[in-house]
Amino acid sequence: MDDFFTYSVILGIFVATVKIATPLLIAALGELVAESSGILNLSLEGTMALGAFSGFLVASESGSLWLGLVGAAIGGALLGLLMAVMTATVKVNQVVAGLALNILGLGGAFFWYRSVYDAGGTIDLPSVERFRTAAVPLLSDIPAVGEILFEQHWLTYFALVMVPVTFVFLNRTKYGLELRSIGHNPEACDMRGVGIVSRQYFAVIFGGAMAGLGGAFLSLSEAGQFFPDIIAGRGWIALAIVIFGNWRASWILAGSLLFGFLEATQLALQASNVNLPYQLLLALPFVLTIVALVLNRSRSQVPLALTIPYHRGER
Amino acid sequence: MSERVDDTGGDERTDPADRNPLAMLFQGDGWRLERRLDTRPVHEMYATLAALVLTALIISLLVILVGVSPLDAFTSLYEGALGSREAGLETLVQATPLILTGLAAAVAFRSGVWNIGGEGQFFAGAIGTWWVYELLPGLPAPLLIIAMFVGAAVAGALWASAASVLLVRYGTNEILTTVMLNFVVLYILSWLLSGPWQSPKTPYFQTERMDEKTFLPRFIDDSRLHWGLLVALAAAVAVHLLTRRTGLGFELRAIGVNKRAAAYKGISVGRTVITVMAISGALAGIAGAGELLGLHHRLQLDIAEGLGFTGIIIALVARLHPAGVVVVAIAFGGLINGATNMQVGTGIPFALVQVIEGVALVFVLLAAVACRYRLKRTVRHG
Repeated sequence: MDDFFTYSVILGIFVATVKIATPLLIAALGELVAESSGILNLSLEGTMALGAFSGFLVASESGSLWLGLVGAAIGGALLGLLMAVMTATVKVNQVVAGLALNILGLGGAFFWYRSVYDAGGTIDLPSVERFRTAAVPLLSDIPAVGEILFEQHWLTYFALVMVPVTFVFLNRTKYGLELRSIGHNPEACDMRGVGIVSRQYFAVIFGGAMAGLGGAFLSLSEAGQFFPDIIAGRGWIALAIVIFGNWRASWILAGSLLFGFLEATQLALQASNVNLPYQLLLALPFVLTIVALVLNRSRSQVPLALTIPYHRGER
Repeated sequence: MSERVDDTGGDERTDPADRNPLAMLFQGDGWRLERRLDTRPVHEMYATLAALVLTALIISLLVILVGVSPLDAFTSLYEGALGSREAGLETLVQATPLILTGLAAAVAFRSGVWNIGGEGQFFAGAIGTWWVYELLPGLPAPLLIIAMFVGAAVAGALWASAASVLLVRYGTNEILTTVMLNFVVLYILSWLLSGPWQSPKTPYFQTERMDEKTFLPRFIDDSRLHWGLLVALAAAVAVHLLTRRTGLGFELRAIGVNKRAAAYKGISVGRTVITVMAISGALAGIAGAGELLGLHHRLQLDIAEGLGFTGIIIALVARLHPAGVVVVAIAFGGLINGATNMQVGTGIPFALVQVIEGVALVFVLLAAVACRYRLKRTVRHG
């Protein structure tokens, strides 16, 4: 195999890594914020599906991809709002509420899609002109790095920028620190007069909007279409990445890139007909996530009150 | 930590409306929302009924939005589910695996163990079934079938145990590990089907068709309904007897109510968690065997199609009661079966099934909270 070919294959893998990591990263960062407030939102898969569709619907009706992104964020945020009502206000078990909204989001997106687009009985999948990659001036001229990092989609840049933003928000701002303390010790926060419910609403709705945007990356940047299996487990993977990243933004970036890299590698292997059991490569990140969960147990950053509803004056 | 405050006492400062923001909605003149001390099963039943009525209302609205009369939609749904002998039998076919995955979730949740891995354990069970089939091809039919069910139960139990052992040994959250294990087993199956176990006759990810002697007997010639239903019903009875009539069952329920109190009573929480996960995994695994031997007869990637997750929803809607699981599973089976008919007849997308499942669960959850409260006429104090 000649060198140029090898080089372009490897470069292609890295470019694909960043692309594949994008929706995972966006959704995982949103989930990080939600979980930081003590609420485990298991409905990421459904929220991404709903965002992917509401984004697609708005984009195809209005003709504007940017409005589509707004639509995706709103779609995701609405499901997040429902999650917040159920968990922060009514204090239903979070796991159960998450699973209920997950199936509601998945079913809702497909139902909505079929009822809007299947009525005409068309065989062709409806599609929109998708986002093109946007090269960053100057930076994209850097060899290799430019192509990998600076010739990507707008949402990819957004995802990368959101890593430090989320870090600073959760670790350096008053509101973010309060949010995290709620996730660790709501009782103490309540005594200090830090409003718990409103912050949990913010966190879960933000998480929903981010998951919606993650879904929109798939429908508006990658496919230009919506189809039932569009999320294909990415919501669950994003959930795994939060755990793998031990609830820290920087490690969540690393985790997303690792998942992206393994996926990109297996795609390249399949394409070049190398006879390797690529499924084992795909299973690896999930095994690694479990291993990380075990290894990090003594320095785990998991919000201590995660999944535990807070009732004032009760235990 | 502080003791639980008795909030039904006369102390004005502990007005329950302070606790629950929802209660503020009901702080009108003369009425207030207060916590019930005694939640009787009949309250739960009314609440669940109310939840189902609300679900029907919401779904009707949705159907109207799509431009179909709800009456037509529900008629079509009903006809598809129970309208004829064939439809009714097919509903039971759909319900068979759901009963088992529903029981799997109910058993675990009752003990406060959040096994979200029913889907993965179902696959593990199917893998176990095929493994026994490859290992012991010469066995006479009845023995082989029994051996395959045992293999499925063991495989499901082992796969679930991966999560419970980590939980007991390292305290890793079982929700997260079972979700991860769902993916791992699916990729293992995908690998098995792409190489070692793949049928040489097709390019598809599937095994050869199994020998006819392994087929579960059918009740009637013209229906797919197979003896897997008997296995599922027997499992429901077994789970009921286990949790209600045995010492182990008492321990299972005890750790679900209060782990610390159970430990003080001398119950080994760790061992009980491992037991309950094994039982739960075994039930999901048996569901895998039943589907493989009763319907599909070959191992494929699409034999589960969310059965594990639907089982979780069923268990929750049934409030974790084994008999309730059977009833709800049959209802959901009818829903799945009827929705196909509805899609053909009225054009309403099949995905309505998932919407109904989600909405029903949301309302059942809300109702479960609501029935812990009651509206009470208040006497105004000055």
